[in-house]
Amino acid sequence: MSEAIVIENLTKYYNSFLALKNLSLRVEGNENVGLLGPNGAGKSTTLKIMCGLINATSGKVYINGFDIAKEKEKALSQIGAIIETPEFYGFLTPNETLGYFGKLRGMSGSGLNSRINEVIKLVSLEQWLNVKIEKFSRGMKQRLALAQALLHDPLILILDEPALGLDPRAVIEFRQIITAAGKDKVVFFASHQLSEVAQICKHVAIIDHGKLLGYDGIEELERKYNSLENAYLQLTGVPIE
Amino acid sequence: MSEVKKLGVVISYEFLKHIRRKRLYVILLLSVVTELAVLIGFPALMDGFPENVKLMATMLSIGPTMAVIGAIFFAGDAIAGEFENKTGYMLFTNPIRRTTLVIGKYLASCLAVAILVIFGYLMVCVSLLAIYSEIPVETAQSFGLCLLYGATVVAITFFFSAISKGAMGATVITLVLIMVISGVIESVLMFAGQPYWFLISTAGDSITLVYGGMELMLAGFVPLDQMSNFPFEFENPDIGLTTLAMVIYLVAGLVSSLVISNRRQLS
Repeated sequence: MSEAIVIENLTKYYNSFLALKNLSLRVEGNENVGLLGPNGAGKSTTLKIMCGLINATSGKVYINGFDIAKEKEKALSQIGAIIETPEFYGFLTPNETLGYFGKLRGMSGSGLNSRINEVIKLVSLEQWLNVKIEKFSRGMKQRLALAQALLHDPLILILDEPALGLDPRAVIEFRQIITAAGKDKVVFFASHQLSEVAQICKHVAIIDHGKLLGYDGIEELERKYNSLENAYLQLTGVPIE
Repeated sequence: MSEVKKLGVVISYEFLKHIRRKRLYVILLLSVVTELAVLIGFPALMDGFPENVKLMATMLSIGPTMAVIGAIFFAGDAIAGEFENKTGYMLFTNPIRRTTLVIGKYLASCLAVAILVIFGYLMVCVSLLAIYSEIPVETAQSFGLCLLYGATVVAITFFFSAISKGAMGATVITLVLIMVISGVIESVLMFAGQPYWFLISTAGDSITLVYGGMELMLAGFVPLDQMSNFPFEFENPDIGLTTLAMVIYLVAGLVSSLVISNRRQLS
């Protein structure tokens, strides 16, 4: 299987509530894809299934060819992820936290230490490397989450609203980091911000009520609907004045 | 990377979390205060220390209480906390089996409890050496049982942590179960002359029973010729059976927490 991400007929019920209905999507190895949709559309559910945090009711997710349900550890070794608002152990420092996660991913010694310094510098947390995370603001935790997602230089980044709660300067910095990472990685990126997605991704998938409404290149969607905004509004059924 | 190496990583970082927490040092401080209360209170109120070194060893043994309090505070949030505080969104996206994570957390909690137990027994040994210049040989057996008891209470707490939405719920349920419910049932069965070796509170009691049982405790305070006036006869539980009960609780608690944790989802 050459695709980085394959989602096949993914269905998820939370008790009787249908969150995803036969969602299918294929992401090539060189694509950055934005997952767009209104609140409750099924974006976070999709990402959580992709990261093995919840099980699908039916359907399959393959990460670089590994079935997340059957080969979870191999699939997870391919990805770096930020899901929901990131929380960390308050008693540990970023250095210790990244050391913990890095070692779980097989990193060690000076290689791990230099990589920790690299990603910490990338997210501008150098001054906070050895400060307990319990003192961190939400934005700082968000930066640390991005650092842990990039720590092991994964092939695929799965990001759920990574810039949520950040100040405008940090949003710009985040976008630059993710855009740079996206040059040699697959970025699968859920967001409400159309402009943000347009700046990072070349393709978007639009979902609502758990169903895929459209999946195409941004340029193609703009040609067809005049703008990405129009494409989003028309596909999600919001009347345009 | 093998799961064994990952297990080592989990244990080391989970243990680091425990020793960073203030609760470890608060429990250590409370245990010092308790021992001092016995060491000062006994000569002040009872005209000197008891003649029997085993009785004093029993009075000083706070290991079981420390094991329970430590186990509950260290293990209550081990699983429930990952879901309640959402730290699981970071931890569970790492390529490690949930089973390895839970076992690593369990062993780290046991290590932290072992520190408390070792500290408690060191205080007992130092005190006995200072007062009597001897340490009863049963202390080694008591220490071993206390370590097993700590590991058992951690396993029970893990079970409640796996099924609870929040860490506080797991902590309170385990505390009430061991300190209140099991204790009350034990008293009722003891008075009724029925077997009670299978209760977790009895397992805790067996840690000090190795010094001589209820008779030793009562003989320290009641003249032997008046013991026949007691309304019921004490029958000490068999240490072998209470040890078996602990092993059963430990295995059942740990296995069920593994099964439940593996099925639990971060929705």
